[in-house]
Amino acid sequence: MDPIAVPIEQGLALASILFAIGLTGVMVRRNIIVILMSLEVMLNACALAFIVAGAKWGEADGQIMFMLILSVAAAEVAVGLGLLLQINRRVGSIDIDEISRLRG
Amino acid sequence: MSEQQLVAILPHILLSALILIQMMVIAFARNLMTTVVISVIALILTGLAFMPAHSLIPIAVTPLIVLDGYAIFYSGLILMSATAVTLMAYDYFKDRGERQDEFFMLLLLATLGALILVCSSHFASLILGLELLGVSLYTMISYPQKGLLTLEAALKYLILSGVSSTFILFGTALIYAISGSLGFAELATIGSAENGTSELFLAAGSALIFGGIMFKLSLAPFHMWTPDVYEGAPAPVTAFVATVSKGAIFAITLRLFTSSGLIETSSILTGLSIVAILSMLAGNLLALRQDNVKRILAYSSIAHLGYLMVAFITAGMIGGKALAVESSSYFLFAYFITTLGAFGVVTIVSLRDHEKDAGDISYYEGLFWHRPLLAMMFTLTLLSLAGIPLTVGFIGKFYIFTAGVTTTLWLLLLAVIAGSGIGLFYYLRIIFAMTKRTDAGASEIEIPLAGGWAVAAISAAMLLFGIYPAPIINLINNLVSSIA
Repeated sequence: MDPIAVPIEQGLALASILFAIGLTGVMVRRNIIVILMSLEVMLNACALAFIVAGAKWGEADGQIMFMLILSVAAAEVAVGLGLLLQINRRVGSIDIDEISRLRG
Repeated sequence: MSEQQLVAILPHILLSALILIQMMVIAFARNLMTTVVISVIALILTGLAFMPAHSLIPIAVTPLIVLDGYAIFYSGLILMSATAVTLMAYDYFKDRGERQDEFFMLLLLATLGALILVCSSHFASLILGLELLGVSLYTMISYPQKGLLTLEAALKYLILSGVSSTFILFGTALIYAISGSLGFAELATIGSAENGTSELFLAAGSALIFGGIMFKLSLAPFHMWTPDVYEGAPAPVTAFVATVSKGAIFAITLRLFTSSGLIETSSILTGLSIVAILSMLAGNLLALRQDNVKRILAYSSIAHLGYLMVAFITAGMIGGKALAVESSSYFLFAYFITTLGAFGVVTIVSLRDHEKDAGDISYYEGLFWHRPLLAMMFTLTLLSLAGIPLTVGFIGKFYIFTAGVTTTLWLLLLAVIAGSGIGLFYYLRIIFAMTKRTDAGASEIEIPLAGGWAVAAISAAMLLFGIYPAPIINLINNLVSSIA
């Protein structure tokens, strides 16, 4: 049975939109938790693009890359949340402008 | 997997095993000295493990990893700097409270990531190496728990490095969508795409990948994080970021762009030239306004990566590939030992103050009168960064010039000359500060054993290979020619 095929252009367009949303979030938002969430959205956009591309070629490579990205995202966010806890304990705020001291 | 392939990846297997052993030792018998000794032994054994593989090269181990002379040369550089950073970090962390052992495990993990990176021939292993290196580095930057600066530097590095990784991943996905392959070599076959859509995908994909790499290499206009991270991170970690991380990423970029043929596209070459000129000018001009030695070194590294891009661009010119690989390898060798020497001195000067590193230039005032040997070593590294003859930095810059002249890249050479001229000013400023007659500050500096010897050895190498560069040039010619 042939599954309902999603055209590759539409899949990649969705991934691009998600990627753009994530990038905007990282640049515009000031709350560190939201920034980490936006980073996660960007990583998942990449994962979606790999799934779509893998489906086009009928290969498992895309899905393997998806698994790899999942673990990468988990590791990055784990470290990010650890840093966030430390910062919150010391400054009492998770606003990125308030903790910013390095300049020049 | 055949026996030969197992021998080829023996260094990586060995290092992974030793990291696990070290973790167990830390868990059951925590002792900083033991941990550091295990680290140094692990790095040396890993280097020796490349010996049996030497007769097999070039050899592909699964589609993911290829071991050739190029990979071995850069692995050697990485292991050498990791050893130097380990010695500096031992001095830095030994008096800063308990529970510093895990830092050395993270350092080995980051080194493993860099080793995987330089011999990867597939996007999956590229991402794996990149993230192993990156995630270990976030933790290493924030490791000293004092002060907010390290936390801020680590968070900035995490966010920007994460974003640049997503750029590389998305670019890879786009290229995979039209090529159906994730290996570098297979990309070469689709380089000359016939129809418009796939050409667009290829251009967008390689632009995204290169954008991500520019972030990681701190090339202008994506260089803003560099001074902040350099200032906030502990000095040995800064040395690691400046050498191992950037060197490994440059090595894989050169391999990716030459073996896939992407670099021969004229639009990419134009973009690269703009980036190179911007980095040289921005790095050198912004450094003029700094009073902090770590920030000056950060801007200087931005400029140096700009010089390195001249050699990179040479690879896209007709008949320039071999010269590009040779010149960038020597330049990176020079940059590695010079940067290690500079941050080695910064580490030694930072030992006195446990609250923050010796960033401000006032820490160095009078260093010539109180610690003449240390000041002379620092002068030597600064002169080498400026590219003064008789130092290794001069030979490196000479190579960049040769590469540029051979392929007639006059505009880029002009930027190299202008950048080097401006650079002299801020390097000399630090040297003048050191000769100032003052009793404050520098008199209390004590030179530690491990770090002191490491810096002395690096300084000696800087002079030796500046006067007599033939051994390294021969080594590069023997090993590195395999990629071109």
